[in-house]
Amino acid sequence: MQDTLANQAPNDIQFSEAEVGTSLWRDAWHRLQKNKMAVASAVIIAALSLVSAFAPWIAPYSYEEQNLELRAVSPRPGHWLGTDALGRDQLTRLLYGGRVSLMVGIVATGVALLIGVTYGAVSGFFGGKTDIVMMRTVDIIYALPFTIFVILLMVFFGRDIRLLFVAIGAVEWLTMARIVRGQVQSLKKQEFIEAARALGLPRWRIIFLHMIPNILGPIIVYATLTVPSVMLLEAFLSFLGLGVQPPMSSWGLMIKDGADRMEECPWLLVAPGVTLAATLFCLNFLGDGLRDALDVRASKD
Amino acid sequence: MFRFIARRFLEMIPVLFVIATLTFFMVRLAPGGPFTAEKSIPPEIQKKLEAFYGLNKPLYQQYLDYMGNLLKGDLGPSFKYATWSVNELIWSAFPVSLELGCYALAIAMLLGLSAGIIASLRQNTAMDHIPMSLAMIGICVPTFVLGPLLILVFGFALGWVNVSGWDSARDRILPALTLGTVYAAYIARLARGGMLEILNQDFIRTARSKGASSARIVFKHALKGGLLPVVSFLGPAIAGLITGSFVVETIFQIPGLGRFFVTAAFNRDYTMVLGTVLFYAVLIILLNLVVDVVQVWLNPKLRFE
Repeated sequence: MQDTLANQAPNDIQFSEAEVGTSLWRDAWHRLQKNKMAVASAVIIAALSLVSAFAPWIAPYSYEEQNLELRAVSPRPGHWLGTDALGRDQLTRLLYGGRVSLMVGIVATGVALLIGVTYGAVSGFFGGKTDIVMMRTVDIIYALPFTIFVILLMVFFGRDIRLLFVAIGAVEWLTMARIVRGQVQSLKKQEFIEAARALGLPRWRIIFLHMIPNILGPIIVYATLTVPSVMLLEAFLSFLGLGVQPPMSSWGLMIKDGADRMEECPWLLVAPGVTLAATLFCLNFLGDGLRDALDVRASKD
Repeated sequence: MFRFIARRFLEMIPVLFVIATLTFFMVRLAPGGPFTAEKSIPPEIQKKLEAFYGLNKPLYQQYLDYMGNLLKGDLGPSFKYATWSVNELIWSAFPVSLELGCYALAIAMLLGLSAGIIASLRQNTAMDHIPMSLAMIGICVPTFVLGPLLILVFGFALGWVNVSGWDSARDRILPALTLGTVYAAYIARLARGGMLEILNQDFIRTARSKGASSARIVFKHALKGGLLPVVSFLGPAIAGLITGSFVVETIFQIPGLGRFFVTAAFNRDYTMVLGTVLFYAVLIILLNLVVDVVQVWLNPKLRFE
């Protein structure tokens, strides 16, 4: 595709560019629909998100309801996933936990994608002094102490779960930026980008319409890796007492609690662990499906 | 290339200066101080302590003092570990984390690269799905689950290794596995993605049509470009690995550097926070520089700009 674009006469390019601009996404949509694993994964993720979103209406108990007489019991009718040490229903906590974990996964990864891809692409494309200043800024943010950053956010803006999403997104974009920059730098030297430049296309157009579609593969692969690391970072912050606080729950927090008592009460670890793993598997299949669907070098069938 | 490296070393100076300044004022903004522990110290003793560490001086004076000492390579005394300087604390803990990090890195590279490369060559077959599913499990199992799980199985049930500690060579096995697994999983996925990008390109098809063996195609043609995403990832990953992990060091009772990153922030041990941050910053900048050099070597289309 790149070679043909570079070899075409200028008036042809006008035409073919208009066609490519609309059909990349439509092609991708068609290819994605044919990928059964990816479609099934998307359905499961959507279902999990819906169930979590409507947790207050679906959950059999309230998330703060304790039953101290019951203490930790294994799964049984009435408590289908068992209860924890304070007699809280695990299914209820899992549903509520999904709200926090899925939100943090989506929002923080979205923030990281938006900032990281734009930042990395601009830095790599412009090069020179711009690149130096932008990349040294990344070095600085990499090094700043994350724990102190979160403590400061809590002090100045209060304990707000949305802040946590922003804080996590604000650190997760750095590696994405470096990966995108590396890819853009090597893409910059290719003929089709030189052709686009020779045509005098504006730089933002070259970056967003010609470069980013060509590096969607690595971007999607890294984004599907960011979602689990973001969810686990939330668990780590909750573990330090800086994230979600009981009785509110998140999958990470439940896994943490389950890990402490995995010998006597394995169900406390299994339910959130399996749910998180299933979600990440689905995301992974969806990510791979998207990667294959958006592969600009694949033939149009 | 030497000009490039020399210039990057010069760029380090302003970067470290900005990091030191930002961190200095960030820790001061956080409420509480190094001597406001739960056990309240009598006010006169607290005054004396603050005078001893220079905390009663105006903030700008403290900042100038700190930066002056920093120029001499002195990171100051720790506020929490009396009689210890930050330099001593870091140099006593870093070798432990470095050793553990190197084992973990070796595990991660060996498992990750082989799994990723094999998966990319056998795309959409069992040889692709099985290692990639294992990698996904490796990514979603957090270290605070994997560590206790390994201890349960190999420490208690089988009794092959000690449950915690850092004395014999055997004590290195479980922590290195715990730390290395998640990185192995990341490397496997990034290597597969990068290799797939390259294997679809025309020059690989040309090599194939010329009858090059698949070993030659992988090692001679594809690997260099295919590993670019892995190399970008490795810079910060190695810095994270060799400076230790709070969770792994807590689980296995290892006297490494990682716990200081968290405890210093909670103790408001100002000099220790600054010391660890600057130490980490130097490592990450140096490793990112190495990454940039390796990237140019791997991809001849890039130039040292």
